[in-house]
Amino acid sequence: MSVRVWIGILWLAFAGLLPGAAGAQGNLDIDTPAIAALRTSMQQRHLQLAPLYASGAVGLAGDGTVALRDASGVPLAQRGQVSNLVAAENADRAALYREIARANGHPEWEADVRRTFAQRWIERAQAGWWVQAGGNWVRK
Amino acid sequence: MTIGAGRLALAVSRVDHPAFAIRDLSLHAAGGAASLTLEIAQLRIGASEFRRLTLRCAQGELGYPFISCRGGRLRIGSEDLPWRIDVDLDLETGKASAIARGEGAARADFHADANGRLHGRIARLPLADAAVLLQPLVAAPAAWKAGGVVDGEIEWLTPGAVKDAAAPDGRLIVHGTIDGGSFGSADGLHAGEKLGVDFRFDASRQRGRWRGAGSIDWRSGAAYWHPFFLEAGARLDVAGTMQGDRLELQRASLRLEGVDALAATAVIDLRRRHLVNGALTVSRADLAIVGPRWIAPLVAPQAAERLRFAGHVSAGVHVRDGVLDEVDAAFDQAGFSLPGAAGGGLALGPVSGHVPWRAKAGSRAEVSVAGGRWERLTLGPFSLAAELQGDRLAFARSSIPLLDGAVVLDGLAMQRGTDGWRGSGQVVVEPVSMRLLTEALGLPSMGGVLAASIPALKLHPGEIALEGALLVSVFDGYVQATGLRVREPFGVASHLSADIEARHIDLAQLTDTFRFGSITGFVDADVRGLELMHWRPVRFDARIASSAGSYPRRISQRAVQNISALGGAGASAAIQRGVIGLFDTFGYSELGFHCVLRADVCLADGIAGARRADDGFVIVRGGGVPALDVIGYNRRIDWNELIERLQRVISGKVAPELR
Repeated sequence: MSVRVWIGILWLAFAGLLPGAAGAQGNLDIDTPAIAALRTSMQQRHLQLAPLYASGAVGLAGDGTVALRDASGVPLAQRGQVSNLVAAENADRAALYREIARANGHPEWEADVRRTFAQRWIERAQAGWWVQAGGNWVRK
Repeated sequence: MTIGAGRLALAVSRVDHPAFAIRDLSLHAAGGAASLTLEIAQLRIGASEFRRLTLRCAQGELGYPFISCRGGRLRIGSEDLPWRIDVDLDLETGKASAIARGEGAARADFHADANGRLHGRIARLPLADAAVLLQPLVAAPAAWKAGGVVDGEIEWLTPGAVKDAAAPDGRLIVHGTIDGGSFGSADGLHAGEKLGVDFRFDASRQRGRWRGAGSIDWRSGAAYWHPFFLEAGARLDVAGTMQGDRLELQRASLRLEGVDALAATAVIDLRRRHLVNGALTVSRADLAIVGPRWIAPLVAPQAAERLRFAGHVSAGVHVRDGVLDEVDAAFDQAGFSLPGAAGGGLALGPVSGHVPWRAKAGSRAEVSVAGGRWERLTLGPFSLAAELQGDRLAFARSSIPLLDGAVVLDGLAMQRGTDGWRGSGQVVVEPVSMRLLTEALGLPSMGGVLAASIPALKLHPGEIALEGALLVSVFDGYVQATGLRVREPFGVASHLSADIEARHIDLAQLTDTFRFGSITGFVDADVRGLELMHWRPVRFDARIASSAGSYPRRISQRAVQNISALGGAGASAAIQRGVIGLFDTFGYSELGFHCVLRADVCLADGIAGARRADDGFVIVRGGGVPALDVIGYNRRIDWNELIERLQRVISGKVAPELR
């Protein structure tokens, strides 16, 4: 699949995700330069993560993070890089949840933002991707 | 023994031989010599113990003193081994031989002589089968899909065969190679490929206690042991004892690239697979090599690609009852750097000193840092001392030289939680000359000093908050920053926010510094909600206005032209082209500018309340003789263009538009 197609997929995912995730009290669609920088970073990384989601090496966890769930299909020499990629994605995700809570003027909403995003990431995961439901990994 | 029509059954409760011991053996023969079934509840060979063994022989002979089995199939527990086994046993002499043939060229020959000497030769034994045989000893579960083959020899010398006072109960020697080895856990977090290993163990038995030494030489292949990627080249030498389930490694040394010496001792409960006690010492590890391989994946995997290391570290680690108990790290000229996403970043070093940590007691760490760099600022040498207690870290007062001043940290204490570090302290910036600071930052030289008093520095995951004021005395006035926050300091969204208040800034000095022409007078400025990303403003609400008071207010022709030029095509000086050329300076009564930066657009306005019918906004209101107004018409100014234009204005490359 071409890079352009992946960018399209990601753009749609974001476009679909954020308005839908807007809570009754908070605006999850809020945009700040920091949030934009995080989105850009995550979009760029998604090009590397998408095939890993599709292969099942990486799954969407129930706590709003991504997890290295089955690395056996990843070439041995690249497993460390994939592990680092997952850690970098989770660092960005944690920052994104904090920034959205801050931008709403309620840093204490971070856990709620994280929970809402976790649900949406899983709901909008593509067929064939692995997601965590009730602590167990299931394939959509 | 029971004998029936064509059937024979033999039961032996116990057989003890120097080389092996059997409990609850039963032998069933049916159809004369046609078939034999041997069942053993428990078999011990050397240190290995197997339970529920069944050998079914397609053809067997049961007589005295000879027992033989042909085409036998062995089952251990619930595991069927793909081997055909021939066994010959002479009950009178004690001689025995067994030959097992597996798939391909796999073969194992074992011979026991009358003295109890057991010798075995293994050829092309699949590692998967070896894993089953070794499962009582090796922790790796059978589900790890072992691959590759083993070649080697096993020799068991009984007391009669070995003349060694240190081995009165026998001696076991094992050596061999593994080729094309592989393994993999189901989740892929532990795996090896194309492994080539040479191994050798030599152990003696004395009153139920094994004492021995061995080596493992990893000569080819690679492995991933989450989160580490390892390549061949390591060699392990061990010496120790084993009694029952207790393995004591009295000496283990690992040869590893980048480490002068790595040694360990350990007491391991094999049955519980539990490290009872362990100590590891690392001598002079080259951080440039071990940092990216061993430290970054463990402590900062999200920044592993960017972290850089230099220098050396030696360390000691002690584990008690499976729990990390003590750590000592001694740094020697160590260097750490984390380049920023857009350059700059943070660097510290060389760092030398001792960092001890105790799980159940306090300790004191002391390191000296020869220097550092934060973005474009160079830090001088300083010392850091800290009390460590569990997950808590309390720094002693420390002064970090910065140019001709210093950043003084006082009472800084931090605690590690599940989501990161939290802490608080105080910071004082002792006066730093603006001349040196602006030079370091690559800005036009300015006079004055910068100082700060931050009575409450607060650390939260993803945020450093400075409750206090950073004060810059400059251009005869001052600039004060409050509400300083550094958010996501080490990530891509790293940004700084603050509220800025500037009072009584001497425009003559300011415009001279930036070669903007010449304006006499003073201004106040308020910048609310300033946000800087990578030191570039991305958001603010700024207002500049003439300071109150009576003072000369003149503006030079060039300054007028430059202000006009900043507004682009829409800005103008409300004076005729011919007139502006006649005078060098003009009088003004007031100047003001308001800019709200959002999404790279400056929403501009002029002096508060100075409305014009043509929707222009007044930036400079004339006063005195000769006087002129500077009017802006473009209320949406592209921020990047504005900065570009400002740089060109300062360099004198832009002509104003006059009308």
